[in-house]
Amino acid sequence: MTSNASAPLSAGAPWIVMKFGGTSVATLPRWQNIRELVASRRAEGARVLVVVSALTGITDALKQLCAQEDKSKRIEAAKMIAQRHYDLLDHMQLAVPDTLAVRLTELARLAEEGPAVLGELAWSALMQAHGELMSSALGAAFLSHSGLPTQWVDARDCLAAVALPNQNERTKLLSAMVEAKPDPALNTRLAKLGEVFITQGFIARESQGRTVLLGRGGSDTSASYFGALLKAQRVEIWTDVAGMFTANPRQVPGARLLQKLDYEEAQEIASTGAKVLHPRCLSPLREPRVPMLIKDTNRPELEGTVIGPEVREHAPSVKAISARKGITLVSMESVGMWQQVGFLADVFAQFKQHGLSVDLISSAETNVTVSLDPTENLLDSDAVAALASDLAKVCRVKVIAPCAAITLAGRGMRSMLHTLSGVLAEFGQLRVHLISQSSNNLNLTFVVDESVVDDLIPRLHEMLIAAGALRTDDSALFGPSWQSLYGSGEVVAAGDAWWRTESRDRLLQLGAEATPRYVYHMPTVRQQARNLKTLAAVDRLHYAVKANTHPAILRALAEEGFGFECVSPGELKAVMAAVPESAPLLFTPNFAPREDYAWAFGTRATVSLDSLYPLEHWGEVFRGREIVLRVDLGRGLGHHEKVRTGGSGSKFGLPVDQIDTFLRLADTHSVTVRGLHAHLGSGILDDKHWGEVYGQLASLAERIGSVAFLDIGGGLGVPSHPGEARLDVAALDEVLRKVKAAYPHYKLWMEPGRYLVADAGVLLTRVTQQKGKGSWRYLGVDTGMNSLIRPALYDAWHEIVNLTRLDEPATALYQVVGPICESGDVIGSDRRLPEAKEGDVVLIAQAGAYGKVMSSPYNLRDEAEEIILD
Amino acid sequence: MTHPIQPRLTQVFRFVRCTYAHGVAELVYAFDHGEELIERVRFPAAPAVTAERKHAFEAALKLLHLIAGISYYKAGVPPKIELSNGPLDDATADLLEALYLHGLAEFAYRNGLDLRGRIAFPRSGEPSGMVKAATLHLPERTLVPIGGGKDSLVAVEAIKHIGGQATAVWVGNSPLIATCAERTGLPTLNIQRELAPGLFELNRLGAWNGHIPVTAVNSAVLAVAAILYGYDSIAFANERSASAATLEYDGQQVNHQWSKGYAFERLLGDWLHTHVAADLHYCSLLRPYSELAITRAFAKLTPYFDVFSSCNRNFKILGPKPADRWCGECPKCHFVFLALAPFLPKPRLLAIFGRNVLDDEAQTAGFDALLEYHDHKPFECVGEGAEARAAMYALSQRPEWQEDAIVARFRSEILPQLDVAELALEPWLKPAGDHRVPERLQPALAAIG
Repeated sequence: MTSNASAPLSAGAPWIVMKFGGTSVATLPRWQNIRELVASRRAEGARVLVVVSALTGITDALKQLCAQEDKSKRIEAAKMIAQRHYDLLDHMQLAVPDTLAVRLTELARLAEEGPAVLGELAWSALMQAHGELMSSALGAAFLSHSGLPTQWVDARDCLAAVALPNQNERTKLLSAMVEAKPDPALNTRLAKLGEVFITQGFIARESQGRTVLLGRGGSDTSASYFGALLKAQRVEIWTDVAGMFTANPRQVPGARLLQKLDYEEAQEIASTGAKVLHPRCLSPLREPRVPMLIKDTNRPELEGTVIGPEVREHAPSVKAISARKGITLVSMESVGMWQQVGFLADVFAQFKQHGLSVDLISSAETNVTVSLDPTENLLDSDAVAALASDLAKVCRVKVIAPCAAITLAGRGMRSMLHTLSGVLAEFGQLRVHLISQSSNNLNLTFVVDESVVDDLIPRLHEMLIAAGALRTDDSALFGPSWQSLYGSGEVVAAGDAWWRTESRDRLLQLGAEATPRYVYHMPTVRQQARNLKTLAAVDRLHYAVKANTHPAILRALAEEGFGFECVSPGELKAVMAAVPESAPLLFTPNFAPREDYAWAFGTRATVSLDSLYPLEHWGEVFRGREIVLRVDLGRGLGHHEKVRTGGSGSKFGLPVDQIDTFLRLADTHSVTVRGLHAHLGSGILDDKHWGEVYGQLASLAERIGSVAFLDIGGGLGVPSHPGEARLDVAALDEVLRKVKAAYPHYKLWMEPGRYLVADAGVLLTRVTQQKGKGSWRYLGVDTGMNSLIRPALYDAWHEIVNLTRLDEPATALYQVVGPICESGDVIGSDRRLPEAKEGDVVLIAQAGAYGKVMSSPYNLRDEAEEIILD
Repeated sequence: MTHPIQPRLTQVFRFVRCTYAHGVAELVYAFDHGEELIERVRFPAAPAVTAERKHAFEAALKLLHLIAGISYYKAGVPPKIELSNGPLDDATADLLEALYLHGLAEFAYRNGLDLRGRIAFPRSGEPSGMVKAATLHLPERTLVPIGGGKDSLVAVEAIKHIGGQATAVWVGNSPLIATCAERTGLPTLNIQRELAPGLFELNRLGAWNGHIPVTAVNSAVLAVAAILYGYDSIAFANERSASAATLEYDGQQVNHQWSKGYAFERLLGDWLHTHVAADLHYCSLLRPYSELAITRAFAKLTPYFDVFSSCNRNFKILGPKPADRWCGECPKCHFVFLALAPFLPKPRLLAIFGRNVLDDEAQTAGFDALLEYHDHKPFECVGEGAEARAAMYALSQRPEWQEDAIVARFRSEILPQLDVAELALEPWLKPAGDHRVPERLQPALAAIG
């Protein structure tokens, strides 16, 4: 493509501002890339203004040069800097353009002159400005030479820094502000000069004519200033990532790309965590309503993030969750003082005096709590001790740390509070020190103990999606996950579900015959079993049969070499009737009566205990037996409160502090503890979690000589929402292997349940009728919570499809409900489905686990039949 | 395969043999006529043993065999001990009987056993003072065992401070210690110890289990290493309070860290002088110092803050978070937190631990035990109650600490029962008492205090 390809632009052609950072301008291939991108924007019929940073590393080199007192060393440094530019020109096979030669001469002169003439700060600003002046001159030469005539513009002639009150000389010169309003005169002046322009980020000029810098995030801010001045069609920030994400991808690999944000939301997200954009660069664009687009230089085909005015109503959604660590809180308690005039001013003066700046504030009648960010002053001086001493004279002080601020950001936060109940319940388990909700309704911030944050953020992200608070199902707002875009290693992609492809016709036929029906797909069961058998670190796998006790499934898993974990004599009997005698059995009851244990010792099952009571009161039942001790490691995990099985709020497991007592009781009755077991919950997708459980169990086992195996339970998550990452079995194995290498003398057991069978089962039902109520549309089907109680019991999300009309466009928004006389009989809310007709076969996916086994005769409706597909 | 043994019913513990070849020492033990239990200690890149040091090496190896046997002996605690290499002179038998009795005192207490009169090593009757070891002119350099905690790091920095030649050494497989050792910048030496697999089997069969004086075993390993590689000193980092008993039980002193105490240091140091080499010095560099003096010294060693841990939970898998190194619930976490608190800015200390242990009400009982309030001293290598009280008192006077749950409770409930005159921090910061630091290393002592 060449510039001649497009017709000349009219004077009124729109502008596009494109900003490229230091790494993007440091090599020839990157400049070739820029050239292509600029040409394509020009071809759209726009004038293009390119804003560039200095070559990567040059700004730092210039700063070091400025700090150098020795003149000869400064001159040497300036030569090195010049050389970097010569090298790049060499690569481009270009002669040194005059514009650059002028800059290099000036640089050498300034280096020699030193700060004496201009003054330290002004000299330093002018010196540093040369990084951008040189890179832009070089860029102009390259672009023009490659057939894209490009005008070099001195940004200082366009951006005038404004003097602000409370600015000192340093901020005036090194972090200046520009008031950028649309400037038609500049627009006209430039339009006369050409079609493609290049200028500098980071620099401006103040009223006395001196060169000033824009400070941190300066180049992005320059691009915004130019966008505003030229009232551009858009400002494009080209960087190394496709935009802003719903969470820090390092913490949450499943974080989704945010495709559309309004200015305020984006600014909130940038301020509370996202590093891709400096929050200050958005405000210049807000008033002229110039949109900003963030794009990945290496992957220009990705959509990126568009930040613009709030255009039309989307369903309110949390957009991002972030965490800032290392926060210290100062809580000040006083009765009746806060209302006194000037009291708070005096208190805050103390913070100023000790050099500590306050971020969050919350107040009550008798308490004001503020947060401090982790500065060097805070960590390594006596600032906090001195502050506390001074404050203690007027109020009671408490210093709370280390804390982390977790922020949910998104427009209309208050209207989403009702969807956050599950999320808030999670906070209910923690120490929340401060909650702040800004009046601009954009964020909700919780300050909690720092130690919980690393585990909490990925879980909250998941819960926000599951609760429908983070509406990842809205593909206009949310793009692909970071993992799928940039993740290393193999992305575990969800294949097409069996019911969507090979078995669809058979299912339609089954649904036409009779409903409700559960249908189980045995190849899927076997496939899941084989996935888990790749866990080389695991010595024995037990199927937790409570998920589904269908004899065909039990037999298939026995054939795959699984043992079976049962929680009642009934389950044990069902398993023993279906599987060969060689299959190992575990009996892991909870609050079971005495006779259950006595009976279980008559079978071949390995018996678990999880409380002191049985040994204290029924010691004779256990005399001389080997048992497994189920412990509670203190903290539960899982997708819903009711499936969390660890922590004091859970009835399962022996607390760690009772282990010594348990062991003494065991000794008294000659009971040998052969295994240790812990199980923290269900639906866990984070592989590190099992490593932690395993490691903790192993360190407990070291105190008990008799232990031969560790059972880390199950709870392997099965993703239900579109785009959720599947559990990475290979990564899990890696985690487990590491622990095993440290504790090779313990065998490792696991007890997966839902993982094996959830995807293998579907519930077929048929449409009975529809009802409209206000703007709500109800779609009635012939079964509900009597067959599948998970949505009502756990708020579980099951995919629902109209199997009859699988290929028709999903235009209706339905509440899918069953026929049970309970207002909770809702199988799925706000589902986009094709317009349905009576008799259509509707499929509820992932119903293979905890479906039929939890069904009830409530309302005395017919129970769902079970069908096996082999 | 012999009939499965019942460890607690065994009659004889036998020291079968010990051999050394190509950097590997094999220490062999057995109960009754049961299977041999073979422990291996691996010395990496071991040089050949010179003729000049051969005698010393064999003596050190013999002692290692005798001392390391304690891990196995305790599985059955049989009434009789047999030595296949013949009886011991009085000095050696005295050392071992003291070690087995006092080093296993906590083990005995926990298991309800009484070892007094039960431990008797066969004696030749050769009295103490008859043996005399040669001077070997060992190189002037020091083995400094690293434990991953603050104490050994203070010792390392003290030796570095005086320009002493030293090697950071550790026994076993701990990523935590390896990271700390690496952070010292010293040459490192990692000696591997493989327990006999049969010991795990014995445990499964119901062996007695509990605390063993692991510092004694490590000391014996390092004595072998000093002769093998050529070091004139082994400088442990055991402080003054390690000599204090944890509790008294049935007329017997029980000290969880007996092998870190001065009595053992003296016994072993003298024995090495007389039986191995007159110029091999075994000492603790921190002996004159209290825990508080050491934590004060450590508070200046910022580069170690994100790698060290004194936590009692055995972290075999390292992670980047504080919670991967500190459980926050064991007596060691309690004490180190409390003892560092007077000497570090609060946010810095909390960043090290990743939590505020003193604002966690669940830790009340643990701190009570530490302060010797309502409870006896816990079985851990932690400072004396008086030191803990002095540190707590200092915090209770500081506004940034005094509202934290455990400190507030101390102020309202415990402090009124104490004599403030006895709670000063300063006296703890002065060195006091005997030590066995050889002359060459004595300037390092000043670098600590």
